[in-house]
Amino acid sequence: MNILLRELRANLKSIIIWSLSMIFLIYVGMVKYSGFEAAGQGINELFDQMPSAIKSIFGISGLDLTSISGFYGIFFLYFMLLGGIHAVMLGAVIIAKEERDKTADFLFVKPVVRARVITAKLTAAFINIVILNIVTLVSSILIVSIYNKGNSISSQILNLMLALFIIQVIFLALGAGIGAFTRNTKKSTSLASTILLSAFMLSVAIDLYKELDFLEFLTPFKYFKTAQVMGSGSFEPIYLLLSLVIITACTAITYLLYKKRDIHI
Amino acid sequence: MNVIEINKLTKYYGKSRGIIDVSFDVKEGEIFGFIGPNGAGKSTTIRTLLSLIYPTSGSAKIFGKDCIKQGEEIRKEIGYLPSEVFYYDNMRVIDLLKYSASFYKNVNKSRIYELAEIMNLDLKKKIDDLSYGNKKKVGIVQGLLHSPKLIILDEPTSGLDPLMQQKFFDLINEENKKGATVLFSSHILSEVQKMCDRVGIIKDGKMVRVDDIHTLQSANYKKFRIEMKEAVTAEYFKLEGVSDLSVDKTTVNFIFSGDINKVIAKIHDKTISNLIVEEPDLEEIFMHYYEKEA
Repeated sequence: MNILLRELRANLKSIIIWSLSMIFLIYVGMVKYSGFEAAGQGINELFDQMPSAIKSIFGISGLDLTSISGFYGIFFLYFMLLGGIHAVMLGAVIIAKEERDKTADFLFVKPVVRARVITAKLTAAFINIVILNIVTLVSSILIVSIYNKGNSISSQILNLMLALFIIQVIFLALGAGIGAFTRNTKKSTSLASTILLSAFMLSVAIDLYKELDFLEFLTPFKYFKTAQVMGSGSFEPIYLLLSLVIITACTAITYLLYKKRDIHI
Repeated sequence: MNVIEINKLTKYYGKSRGIIDVSFDVKEGEIFGFIGPNGAGKSTTIRTLLSLIYPTSGSAKIFGKDCIKQGEEIRKEIGYLPSEVFYYDNMRVIDLLKYSASFYKNVNKSRIYELAEIMNLDLKKKIDDLSYGNKKKVGIVQGLLHSPKLIILDEPTSGLDPLMQQKFFDLINEENKKGATVLFSSHILSEVQKMCDRVGIIKDGKMVRVDDIHTLQSANYKKFRIEMKEAVTAEYFKLEGVSDLSVDKTTVNFIFSGDINKVIAKIHDKTISNLIVEEPDLEEIFMHYYEKEA
């Protein structure tokens, strides 16, 4: 419990900043929507003329930008990116920082087994991503309701947040695995961001070249299709299973590797 | 009873040598000095005892329990002060000490204030704002606040001014009198000489010798200084047991271990103007060991 509280406190400032950025992003985005809505159908025609590469990078392919749910769908890409970066960095740093800050010699000479330390740290990180998810959910519902003149899309937002949450957990587990695997924090954070960006680039590449879609399983950004999640609220079982496998495997690797490794400072 | 039993402990970092076949015991209630130059393997041995690192082969027991398998239980009774101290920078001293205390059962919180008072430590400051010496004091307090049965010190005095060093030694002596066993690693011999009952000498990852400090100091070694009437060659004093021999015309210096009569017989035939025989200090013995083994 003491380690958990310590980690929550250590990450307090960071989660506040992340939450505020998320709220800011949603607010600014919805302000733009009011402009789009006013412009009407012309906007969709304009975007249709854009090259599909640009559209997929901005996450606007297949969405009706003049409807509030279509517009809100754009956010999902940014939520995934932000949530993914937050989670993968948090996971990598929370594991590796004791050696970076050389506090490992303090912590691990205490009467604790390493598994307990990992559990406390992962729990703290998990609470952090839940907070970010809830902040995104609540601020989305509130801000959207200001601009929404039609039917409520709260249940669609909720579905997206569920998908976002799974992606956050995947990246958290990946980050933790990387943190336990690499020897120093610099390496672990650069490896973590490399993996995240590669996954993102791959998802864009798949949007551009449909022949690549057999690679979808490699990038969590492709596990949940915005239109599908928002439309029917359904997830593809194969990707849910894959998510579960990645999360379980990475968590197991984190425990196993960290238990066996030498602590160097 | 032995508090620490180390049995053929070996640690390689990849291919590079950490320690090889290190074996020694530390008895209950003693202050054991663990000496060797930097890089000899002192910290590797200590870090293995604390199961921060895992041995390549061999084993170590503390309180009769295996260091790796029962590490958590063992560490309840260990206080450790590393040579360099690092703590969570944005914490206040008192918060760090309370955090440290929260890992142990039944810590008497007044002990924190008591120790801080002795070490003259400001509890309200942030760790970040502390000087190196003051961080070291935090280290001392957090190492002792749970009244451990075994105190492990790895080059503890660096960064402490002489006054604080003295207070620190008094504190350790007091804990020792209350029953704590102390493993004291250092490359500064004078402090080991002052504090310890027995010493182990480690060099290039191997134990060279474990001995009672008085045995090491007095029984075997004499330091000779002979001033001759006439110049002699170094050859003349090349006896078995002679080391660190230096001859400067008529003045001869060496350290001798063995039957002293052999030296007397040598100088019996010569006319000498002065003869000094004294106890070497530990430093000289130590250097002697190192040169001999090299």
